[in-house]
Amino acid sequence: MQQAGSSGSEMEVTWEDQQKINQFSRLNNRFHELEDEIKLAKETNDNLEDASNELILTDDDIVRFQIGEVFAHIPKDEVETRIEQMKEVTSKNLEKLEEEKESIVAQMDELKKILYGKFKDSINLEED
Amino acid sequence: MASTSASAIEGTVTERRGIPAAAFVEDVQTYLSQSGLDANSALAFFQERLQQYRVVEMKLLAQQRDLQAKIPDIEKCLDVVAALQAKKGTGEALLADFEVSEGIYSRARIEDADSVCLWLGANVMLDYSCEEATALLQKNLENAKASLEVLVADLQFLRDQVTITQVTIARVYNWDVHQRRTRQAIVTTES
Repeated sequence: MQQAGSSGSEMEVTWEDQQKINQFSRLNNRFHELEDEIKLAKETNDNLEDASNELILTDDDIVRFQIGEVFAHIPKDEVETRIEQMKEVTSKNLEKLEEEKESIVAQMDELKKILYGKFKDSINLEED
Repeated sequence: MASTSASAIEGTVTERRGIPAAAFVEDVQTYLSQSGLDANSALAFFQERLQQYRVVEMKLLAQQRDLQAKIPDIEKCLDVVAALQAKKGTGEALLADFEVSEGIYSRARIEDADSVCLWLGANVMLDYSCEEATALLQKNLENAKASLEVLVADLQFLRDQVTITQVTIARVYNWDVHQRRTRQAIVTTES
């Protein structure tokens, strides 16, 4: 986790500085959460991809499709449609997460510039 | 606990749902003279505060994990009820394979489903019509999502207070080091 630490010098810290440090901390936390969520979304995407590939290869007319905790017997065509829908939802979600991640990285870089500008060596904003 | 109100900023939150806010210290010198503490006592106080914050953070994180597990569960239930409702009109039976025990599955034939039973917890299960079940599950889902939002806001507030306290600890410590160095310098020039 990144920390704001000082190394022995007398540094003035204003309320605005403190708020910027807090903001940086929040962004950093959100960034790590997003990385985990993106990883999950990518996995789900891959699983759906595999599922639809398997579907193309199978000869059965009825496929066992998981709804909740049970596997319902559903005609192959309907399953295809459902999987396509799920794939769309997941990729839209993934796109949204990636966008949020980019925005957060940009905001963090801005804050880094400002905070390093004022505090130079007295503050450490890197991952350890 | 030492009073920190003299150094607090006007107009900020003093606490949120039982979590005390960390008062921001404008100037270390002023804070220490107003509270009558020496650097070490102040540091001890802040460290204790930090520990208390950590305890609360653990509790909130556990609650967050519970809610985050509950929400997909409710969504799965909604899916099942929706599937049953879809089959109701057609007159066909729904065939489903379900787990009887680990690794053992059995087949169920569900004819026209008029009602579903919902597990309400505390060994209670109630019969509902499909529409009522959907409404109840939907309401539970919304409540869970709202609680999660409040919890996330609480965690953010808490983490801000932790950051403020950490920065204050660093500043008091540095001030103390600075003071010792100046005193040393004076002592050596006088001798």
